[in-house]
Amino acid sequence: MAITRRSLLRLAIAGAAMLAGGRNKAVAAVPCGTVVALSGQCFREAGGQRQPLKLGDRVDIADTIDAPAPGKLKLRMSDGSVIALAAGTRVTIAAYITGAGGERDTARLSLSGGLLRAIVAPGEHVNTFEVSTAVGTAAVRSTDWFIEMQPGAAEVGVLSGRVVLTSAATRQSVTIPARWGARLEAGRDPVPARIWSPAEFQAVAARTEVQ
Amino acid sequence: MRWSAWFLVGALCWAAPALAYTSAGDRAFSATLLLPQIAPTDEIYVKPFTLPQPGGAAGAARRNTNLGTTYAKTITDRLGVSVEQTFSRVDRIGAGALTGWQNLDLEAKYMAVNDIPREFLLTLGLDRETGGTGARRVGAAPSGATTPRIYFGKGAGDLEVGLLRPLALVGFAGVQLADAAPRPNLVTGGIAVQYSLPYLQSKVGNFDLPWPLRAMSPVTEIVFTAPAGRSFGARATVLIAPGISLAGEGWEFAVAALVPTSRATGRGVGVIAQFHLSLDFLLADSIGKPLFSEP
Repeated sequence: MAITRRSLLRLAIAGAAMLAGGRNKAVAAVPCGTVVALSGQCFREAGGQRQPLKLGDRVDIADTIDAPAPGKLKLRMSDGSVIALAAGTRVTIAAYITGAGGERDTARLSLSGGLLRAIVAPGEHVNTFEVSTAVGTAAVRSTDWFIEMQPGAAEVGVLSGRVVLTSAATRQSVTIPARWGARLEAGRDPVPARIWSPAEFQAVAARTEVQ
Repeated sequence: MRWSAWFLVGALCWAAPALAYTSAGDRAFSATLLLPQIAPTDEIYVKPFTLPQPGGAAGAARRNTNLGTTYAKTITDRLGVSVEQTFSRVDRIGAGALTGWQNLDLEAKYMAVNDIPREFLLTLGLDRETGGTGARRVGAAPSGATTPRIYFGKGAGDLEVGLLRPLALVGFAGVQLADAAPRPNLVTGGIAVQYSLPYLQSKVGNFDLPWPLRAMSPVTEIVFTAPAGRSFGARATVLIAPGISLAGEGWEFAVAALVPTSRATGRGVGVIAQFHLSLDFLLADSIGKPLFSEP
């Protein structure tokens, strides 16, 4: 994967902002997305504060987005990607770096619980969009996919494109193509990918749909 | 060549597709070499095999060698068809070898049950061998046959059996109904016992096995054929194939010994191999997906 000097600089700036964010409110937040759909009550947590979200609100790098049930939320990110959070989902935007033209350089989300759907716009490099969980990481370039964090396991389903799911414990990976899914249990290799049934996709799509 | 030997060639020819990427929940059933596939898939594979024959008088077969090719296509998520063609070579005692094609074989399959939590599959199949499309000199029958079949696959992952959870059992049973005499009707069936090391690593515990061990599955298969009704000289055959399957992303390679249990089945140990490409994985966005599917 090619990493340009420019992207490293952006990453460093964003990282510094993220690290400082919790301690020094004077450091400017780095916006990376906007709330485009909302159902129920959802929250943004930043700098130790928890604020309810409304349509049109921006979210920043290092924010934690919380959608406690029955709340749901949809974000449009600065690179054009769309992230939909099902009820009961909690995710932190660890990094979201885009270039001047809006093209994504690096995006890293940390999913601590629940289900999200990501319709990922093409990025500059391979696998520049990552969602990490307690048990492993899923990385993509451009695709439409789901990831759910369950107790002790993560599950990924892919509607289009390909996702690479890597175990945090064993570093073993599986590639998941369109119409397939795979499960990863804590401390183990990913389960070999399999074709998901339409009913399985419909179930997760319904949970992440925000009116 | 005796009828039994021809039937064995036939049995091995229709004993078709690999089970790679046939899944019930987190259970991916390994490729099998003798048993037919238990569910519709998108795949292509080749399968060479060779088996010594009982021999006898001059002109009798002493070895059968075959190369089978199969293409399978899904129509919907649960319905699929496959076409298979096999080229055969028969080495004879005191005479030159005979070569030619076996009859064209088509099959439709419908997956009736896919119980994800219980790792259980049940599929109904209808196989049609078109008579007269192959060469009689290598055993292709002049008349065709139709075989309704039932297939199943069951993993032990939902059972509290510890290190035995990677075990799986797949099987099939069918009746081959001949179009015309003197071709006999046959009862066919088989089972395969598999122990999936990928399942062990991903669902039971992390044993830090090195590659290629972590991608392997030992598999033992048993298939049989027996005449039903008038035999026309056919005898029962039983073939055992202990082997190993090695799976990667979108491919699978399997090899097994062929151990006949009677003279009617063969004489001496043969070998069978299979290389399988999973089109539903490798070409998921184009020819690897069902013709009609959602989402």
